[in-house]
Amino acid sequence: MLRLIQNAGRWLFYRADALFNRVFGDRLNPLYYLGGIAYWLMWLAVASGLYLYIFFRTGVEEAYQSVEYLTHQQWWLGGVMRSVHRYASDAMVLAMLLHLIRHFVFDNYRSFRWFSWVSGIVVLWLVYASGINGYMLPWDRLAQFVVIGTAEWLDVLPMFNGTLIRNFIAEGAVNDRLWSLLTFIHIGLPLAVLALLWIHTHRVPGAHTRPPWPVAAATTAALVILALVKPATSQGGPADLSTAITTVDLDWFYLPVYAALYRFTPVEVWLLVGGATILFLAAPWLPPKRRRKEGFHIFVHPDNRIIPVRDGERLLEAALREDIRIPFDCRNGGCGTCKGSLLYGEVDYGDYQDTALTAEERKGGKLLLCCATPRSDLEIEYVPVEQPGSHPVRSYTARVAKLNRLTHDVMQVILKIEGERVPYFYAGQYINVLLPDGQKRSFSFATAPHERDHIELQIRWIADGLFTTHVFTGMKEGDRLQFEGPLGAFFLREEGDKPIIFVAGATGFSPVKSMLEHAFHTGIMRRMYLYWGVRSLRDFYLPELPRRWEREHRNFSFIPVLSEPEPEDHWTGRTGFVHEAILADFPDLSRHQIYACGSAAMVQAAHPAFLAHGMSEHDCFADAFLLAPQLRDAAPEMVRLGGRP
Amino acid sequence: MSTLARYLIQGMLYAAFAATVGYFSNAPTYRHLGADDALVRLSFSHAAQRVAPCRERTPEELAKLAPNMRAPLDCPRERSPVTVELELDGRLVFRNVVAPAGLRRDLASTVYWRQAVAAGEHRFTARMKDRPEGGFNFVKDVVVELAPGRVLVIDFDGTRGGFLFRM
Repeated sequence: MLRLIQNAGRWLFYRADALFNRVFGDRLNPLYYLGGIAYWLMWLAVASGLYLYIFFRTGVEEAYQSVEYLTHQQWWLGGVMRSVHRYASDAMVLAMLLHLIRHFVFDNYRSFRWFSWVSGIVVLWLVYASGINGYMLPWDRLAQFVVIGTAEWLDVLPMFNGTLIRNFIAEGAVNDRLWSLLTFIHIGLPLAVLALLWIHTHRVPGAHTRPPWPVAAATTAALVILALVKPATSQGGPADLSTAITTVDLDWFYLPVYAALYRFTPVEVWLLVGGATILFLAAPWLPPKRRRKEGFHIFVHPDNRIIPVRDGERLLEAALREDIRIPFDCRNGGCGTCKGSLLYGEVDYGDYQDTALTAEERKGGKLLLCCATPRSDLEIEYVPVEQPGSHPVRSYTARVAKLNRLTHDVMQVILKIEGERVPYFYAGQYINVLLPDGQKRSFSFATAPHERDHIELQIRWIADGLFTTHVFTGMKEGDRLQFEGPLGAFFLREEGDKPIIFVAGATGFSPVKSMLEHAFHTGIMRRMYLYWGVRSLRDFYLPELPRRWEREHRNFSFIPVLSEPEPEDHWTGRTGFVHEAILADFPDLSRHQIYACGSAAMVQAAHPAFLAHGMSEHDCFADAFLLAPQLRDAAPEMVRLGGRP
Repeated sequence: MSTLARYLIQGMLYAAFAATVGYFSNAPTYRHLGADDALVRLSFSHAAQRVAPCRERTPEELAKLAPNMRAPLDCPRERSPVTVELELDGRLVFRNVVAPAGLRRDLASTVYWRQAVAAGEHRFTARMKDRPEGGFNFVKDVVVELAPGRVLVIDFDGTRGGFLFRM
């Protein structure tokens, strides 16, 4: 039965995930950040609550009046804050419940995960207590209903036994000191929630404690708009204990128990709530019992570390626990960021979206580390975003030192970092230029890491591209721009002795230039080939540079390829698709490494062709593979291989 | 799917999220009491008489006690249970025998009972016995006109003559 419920739940979540992935993209899918969103909503409730507290007055009449003042006299801020406070609290319950259900249906609550599960249940009840307590403060008719309901509910407990309701039995029974108590509780309980939340997430390595900023911003905006469209108001005037509550607009996120209270008896509701709590708390140890196993060990490359994996633990969790920084994002098999290679052993691949790990990739030895659990000792490899001795990602401000138009549609942009030197990075990595509206544009370092004075970017103009158009029409020397970096797992693997084939499409030459200059600088003597494909001769920029490298380095060869040469080009060299030229020259790729950088279309066309010619999955590195989802969606800004768009 | 369409659908999904939160935040309306009903609440906390009367200590007994313990009366701590009955229009609607609170049963007995009744004129008869023997020693009979939505509180205060009917 439990299995059936879980399977149905998984089915629903996967369908919803897939739908949301199509709409939001796999990096901004809110369903992957339910815990983080709940955290964010908690902060929203805390921040708005602090504002309300400034104006809130503790007294029988003052409580109602001060809230009314905020709602009506200061509706433009106080009223919005009141509404956001309420709606954020409601949305937090919604996010927490979905978060709980998700972990339940995916069976993420047993074994070593019991602690997070149990602490989460306690957090949930504390949030409920805090929210119910909050509804007492405005001292309107809803507050009257909640206060009396609470007293009647608690009064059936032997320790109270009918005494609590005496405090609310008639007009005059309540005095100002009640609000001192209620306010104290309303500050104390959220503090307890925050402390428990910290404990709840502390034992989960790499837990999301905030959603990505676009998700946080959109969630906040949705609640602010809701606050403006439908402001939260007090109900039915001030509380009047001489009259009964006949109808009330309940907050069904927090107060359904009060409806149950008068449908059943208070004792029955205690049994219901207490029973459900015990059931939830005991869930990690309830049948069906899983037979406990010893767990396994995994040998992790490139760290060359052997780490233990507990029974039922996913590979990503084990690695993060051991402080191995495997890149990850959604943790739910949706984005594919944590994709790695299985070199030895047997795994349960887990549940994931087909778009995150294709059948071909799985057949080729790939797996999603956030989903897979071991069935034997394993040897795995992942591509680190940060190498050992990592280069931290941070934001920089740079000045445009020089603009140099290399060809009709490529601009060389030289950046100087303000007040600092160029950040350390790996040849092949990229930066995100941060646009004023919060959007980002990715460009590879064209300079090698030893170039410590400046950064070179090679930016191709894209029709309708906001930033690239600005670069070509508005940007001037001396302009400032902000960027974050270094980023990306596409970088030169210096170990090994296999010949390297670099495949560049148009401005895909940029990271290849960085890697080649780095290779020449460090004296790498492996045989290196550069296949650079563009459409026609006028698309080659810096054409003399690879020719000079060819003259200076005996281990380097340059093969330019035009896909659509113009008659005036008088081109006698290679033509066609660049990957076809490589396949013609290297029918057997089993003993080569390939670094491909260009459009997603180029990489996606080349990859299966290379595999079909014996290339090992582990010897193919491509920028577009990792960025494919964004590139597919951001086609106008995408570099394209010379050839067909 | 085009970028514009994606943004539109994203906006719609966030709007649906906000609409869900906004709707269930105060809807659907919950009806707690019928439109023509009033509410009767019987509530009091009363320390009943002791189970046995106090006895005067003899001089010999007093002499045996420590000087600071020489109280002239020897009173048992335990109190009698409180028996309470409420009749509504001649019909018994509530009866309870409530033990005193406390480990030694020496504290007040507390009663709480609530009932929705149709608005209109009603006769209430409240009876209470707070002694170990004998019949009801507090009885009050009143006729009350209850308007819809009003709360009638039936309280008890021994110092003010017994039952109090408050609206």
